[in-house]
Amino acid sequence: MKIHLQDIRSNFEGFCRLVSFGKLIDTALWEDIDIDMSAVNWIDANMCAPLGALVHKATQEGNAVTINNIISGVQSILSKNGFLAHYGYSRLFDSWGSTIQYKRFETKDDHYFADYISRELAGKNIPTMTPALYKKFQESLFEIFSNAVIHSQTTLGIFSCGQYFHRKKRLDFSVADLGLGMRGIVKDRLNLDLTPEDAIIWSLSGNNTTKRGSVPGGLGLKLLQEFIRKNKGRIQIASDKGYWELINGDSNTQVLPHPFPGTVVNIEINTADTHSYCLACEIRPDEIF
Amino acid sequence: MSEILTLRIYETIGGNLAVASEDGQKVFGLLMKALQDGRDVQLSFVNIDTLTSAFLNAAIGQLYGTFKEEFIRQHLSVADIAQDDLALLKRVVDGAKAYFKDPKRAEQARREESGKGEDDDE
Repeated sequence: MKIHLQDIRSNFEGFCRLVSFGKLIDTALWEDIDIDMSAVNWIDANMCAPLGALVHKATQEGNAVTINNIISGVQSILSKNGFLAHYGYSRLFDSWGSTIQYKRFETKDDHYFADYISRELAGKNIPTMTPALYKKFQESLFEIFSNAVIHSQTTLGIFSCGQYFHRKKRLDFSVADLGLGMRGIVKDRLNLDLTPEDAIIWSLSGNNTTKRGSVPGGLGLKLLQEFIRKNKGRIQIASDKGYWELINGDSNTQVLPHPFPGTVVNIEINTADTHSYCLACEIRPDEIF
Repeated sequence: MSEILTLRIYETIGGNLAVASEDGQKVFGLLMKALQDGRDVQLSFVNIDTLTSAFLNAAIGQLYGTFKEEFIRQHLSVADIAQDDLALLKRVVDGAKAYFKDPKRAEQARREESGKGEDDDE
């Protein structure tokens, strides 16, 4: 099976291409899948996370995946972030310090993820990020990862990748899981039959949570949303056929042509943001409980 | 009056990133034991750089499934915590109170605590 990939950017069209690619390989079993990248002039590096998730799923079905005919600029980026190393290519040293490595984690790997984030961000040359923003950004990444760990029920892993754009002062990061997806989780836990896009909105709203049992939850994605609104960054969530985006403070939903088999959360932060993020407010320690 | 027991999160989880639900569970285990033994506990956030709601829900939020608000207020306090982390903790606590207002969840938490539980999604 030969599949011609096209440009994949962090936008609705990029996700449409991604799920169309996923649809093509979804039925493959014990096949040789040749991904031809001769028509790819650009891949937003963070999108390696959902792309890698789809390819990993295909390999778990016994398919042998190769990636060929990569244009040099694309090959350079995807070799620097370690994505192509999974498909037999050499790694390249990232002298600009702009890539955040592509990685796959198991759901029990919270500590590895924490080490990875500390290591990857520490080595980056991000001069404009204030300590407060750096802290909020780190917290956001952990919230996204925890969300996937707690809710996705994936057995195939959690994938992450990022890229810092020096000139734009933007940092993009993606976390993809191959779990139930938001619609599936809401249906499974609460027997609530929502459309995929409504399931995303539901998960981001009010006190909604699919948590059961002794540990409360339901705050992670709301905190993320509040932070990104203030930061004037961007969030994209693709789950099943649902696509939700928050950009410039406004959110919108769209329907993807095919389902993503899990959930992808992309965030883009504005690294030049100088908000304090310190809620220097009236809360006193003795008023907490 | 019993001496206040200080529990340092940094010591319990062995690092400065209080982000994993699993680590929160370790802190919860100690808090439960101490509170059930009738100790007054001060939970210290000294050296903790990063916190998540997932950690705080596991460590502190789930206490509300076992103890009444008044009891927690009387016997648990926090120290060495940054203002923005305090704001996050407040939201987690408020969320936990709302979560356990549902009697089914409260009952389930009690069952789990007594070892008969099932259906936990962690």
